[in-house]
Amino acid sequence: MDGPELTHQTLANGSRCVFAPLPDAGLTCIDFWCRAGSAFEQPGEEGLAHFLEHMVFKGSEHLGAGEFDLRVEALGGSSNAATGFDDVHFHVLVPPEGAGTALELLLDLVLEPALRDDAFRMEREVVLEEIAQYRDQPDEVVVQQLLAACCSNHPYGRPILGWEQSLNASTPETMARFHRRRYRGPNCSVVVAGAIPDGLQSDLTQGRLAQLDGPGDAITDHPPELHFQKGRECMHVERLEAARLLMAWPAASADQQRTVMGYDLATTLLAEGRRSRLVDRLREDLQLVESIDMDLTTLERGSLVMLEACCAPEHIEEVEQEVKSILDKAASSPASEEELERGRQLVGNGLRFSLEAPGSVAALTGPQALWRTPQHPLASIDDLEAWTADDLQAEIFNQMQPEQAYTLVALPGNEN
Amino acid sequence: MSFPDLILDPLSTPGVLSAKLWIRRGSSVDPVGQRGAHQLLGSLLSRGCGPYGPMELADLVEGCGAGLRCDTHEDALLISLKCRDSDAEHLLPVIGWMLNQPHLRQDQVELEKDLSLQALQRQREDPFHLAYDGWRSLAYGNGGYGHDPLGFADDLKALQTNDLQELATTLQSQGTVLALSGTIPARVIKLLEKHDCFQSNGDATGSMASSAALSTDTTETLSLREQSTEQVVIMLGQPSLAHGHPDDPALRLLQAHLGQGMSSLLFRRLREEHGVAYDVGVHHPGRAAASPFVFHAATSSDRAALTLKLLMQTWTEMASQPISDSDLALARTKVRGQLAHASQTTGQRAERRAQLRGLGLPDDYDQHCLAVMDDLDPTRVQRVASRYLNRPLLSLCGPSSTLKTLSTQWMAH
Repeated sequence: MDGPELTHQTLANGSRCVFAPLPDAGLTCIDFWCRAGSAFEQPGEEGLAHFLEHMVFKGSEHLGAGEFDLRVEALGGSSNAATGFDDVHFHVLVPPEGAGTALELLLDLVLEPALRDDAFRMEREVVLEEIAQYRDQPDEVVVQQLLAACCSNHPYGRPILGWEQSLNASTPETMARFHRRRYRGPNCSVVVAGAIPDGLQSDLTQGRLAQLDGPGDAITDHPPELHFQKGRECMHVERLEAARLLMAWPAASADQQRTVMGYDLATTLLAEGRRSRLVDRLREDLQLVESIDMDLTTLERGSLVMLEACCAPEHIEEVEQEVKSILDKAASSPASEEELERGRQLVGNGLRFSLEAPGSVAALTGPQALWRTPQHPLASIDDLEAWTADDLQAEIFNQMQPEQAYTLVALPGNEN
Repeated sequence: MSFPDLILDPLSTPGVLSAKLWIRRGSSVDPVGQRGAHQLLGSLLSRGCGPYGPMELADLVEGCGAGLRCDTHEDALLISLKCRDSDAEHLLPVIGWMLNQPHLRQDQVELEKDLSLQALQRQREDPFHLAYDGWRSLAYGNGGYGHDPLGFADDLKALQTNDLQELATTLQSQGTVLALSGTIPARVIKLLEKHDCFQSNGDATGSMASSAALSTDTTETLSLREQSTEQVVIMLGQPSLAHGHPDDPALRLLQAHLGQGMSSLLFRRLREEHGVAYDVGVHHPGRAAASPFVFHAATSSDRAALTLKLLMQTWTEMASQPISDSDLALARTKVRGQLAHASQTTGQRAERRAQLRGLGLPDDYDQHCLAVMDDLDPTRVQRVASRYLNRPLLSLCGPSSTLKTLSTQWMAH
């Protein structure tokens, strides 16, 4: 199989270290993952996981404010982080000769953030600006409304950025409690991908990560399983220029890899490329939409499939009817072998092409290592190949029907 | 008709090949009254060419799980293909057909035109786009860089198929560059050089009048776009130097110092010291002429005056005081690091190689630039800033009351 051969080691405290060597790469990516996404926030903590991601970069017990950025960038490197519903990750990308220093700095920063009071107040303002920026993007508003409706009463329905009220009430102490609760051995993984210099492996497995506390009560602290709400609504959104049809369906959780790959294949057959069913019919043939896309968001407590069509407001009803008709046909007759093979190629190459850069290898490997057992980045292709047209029809397309969906129609302007 | 200027960049990969064809005709040479023509033409190249109709081409490309697209930039049309090396023999000729024998069928022209018009309308949802659009119009006026590659709705509506056919004959008038990076099967190159796909049926020497990138004699320095948003987007900048100008390395260093990474001056000043913005940076793409050099930030109305003041202060400092030796050394390291970051994938490598040759720069331009930067001192960088960054233009997008306050602040400056 092409791509890096992984090695991995689980430390005594439950942390996992994964190495994905790409000998020809010019850079090393060190990617720290933690089961500390927004789904792990408790009432009153809404937005704290993401805010903590910001605060981590404000310094640690040993690093002053801005010192981490300065030292990583002086190595010719860069750093960033992202908070999701399930997990958060912090990564640095550096030339291999600086990888040892970068590893030490990253772990120091992530595992012992200082959470200084003045920095906390200042960075909260930045997060509130980030929230305002999202609210000024009408397409983001629409997607958030859909999530709030179909994942109501579940953390996946809350914005990852959180609620202003909770953020304003938060303190360095509440954030420190969240950090202590989540950043524990079994909740953490580090992936090193790219050029791996001699000694880095032992630096990681015998260094700061190994000193992290063990499980505590971390293992029992899981968010609930997603109970998807189907339904339908129509909303008007100011500053929206084109109408949107959004539909969401529940899909298999991330641990069910075979079924997840089936959903990936199904959404590809429906909406990836000019020959996909929805694009072919709605954009190429009927010319009703400017774009139509489907996305699979893989999540630990229940994944989501989302469809989004952009069109002129006067076409929205016709678009919805056509989508229904295509979904109905997918459930009533199997895909052709040629169509299936096209889908397999598109999904498979999407994975193969992501193995070029250390950062994307780490992003592909990280969640797998964090939540399950590390596996080769292309291992899921075997599951992809096993899907037949009949299985897809019975197990996937039959579930992806309008009556199983939450449908949101968003129209430009005010309701009145 | 000649084969494109060919660049081969063989690399060990998991069987991946990226091809980039740089066509030296972009939206900056859209004919008068036809703004958006190159983008429309570019989008049509993959809608039927050579022996393939629109759907046959989609079948071929998607059937191989490959990616094929044409993007329209200000200075070029860029065709990108990414595929497995085992499919290269079947797919690489498509690039030649797109260049030499696009079908430009009437029904496909109408379809793409309609999609472009809808995309233009949807762009208006993004306040950052509106602010940049205002700045671009202020800075370049009716010049080639004065409009989004998507064009203007009225011009697009008036475009006819024969306008595009005429434009298609000019695609090779300034030459093309084909860069391949990754696992390159040797036999494919030999096959390609003799392939019919690179034989043109059109007039390869045709040319269209090109408008200057920079064409504005306005004394206006302020653009306002009212929107009922929470934030105001601020863009402060000036058309500067061509990518490849002897003084551009100094501006690249300033860009790194001011806007690259979390240690950059604007990030520290606006985010860490004042907490006034989430998104802040410097936009300085590499263009064939007068590249934009623009600060950007988005902030809430109650902090907009402070944000504008900080941006203006930073702009003034560039020309009025030298940066420290340590900041200059850090900027050099960032530029060096950025080069490594931007050449991780076969697509990135092929595109940079095609771009450099497409802009008439040597293949080792980046290394040359680093050597020039090593010799620059803070005083020299300051002199370049004072010479080329001395007349900033301001574009604002946000609520009317905030725009009014900021306008007053700007005029008083």
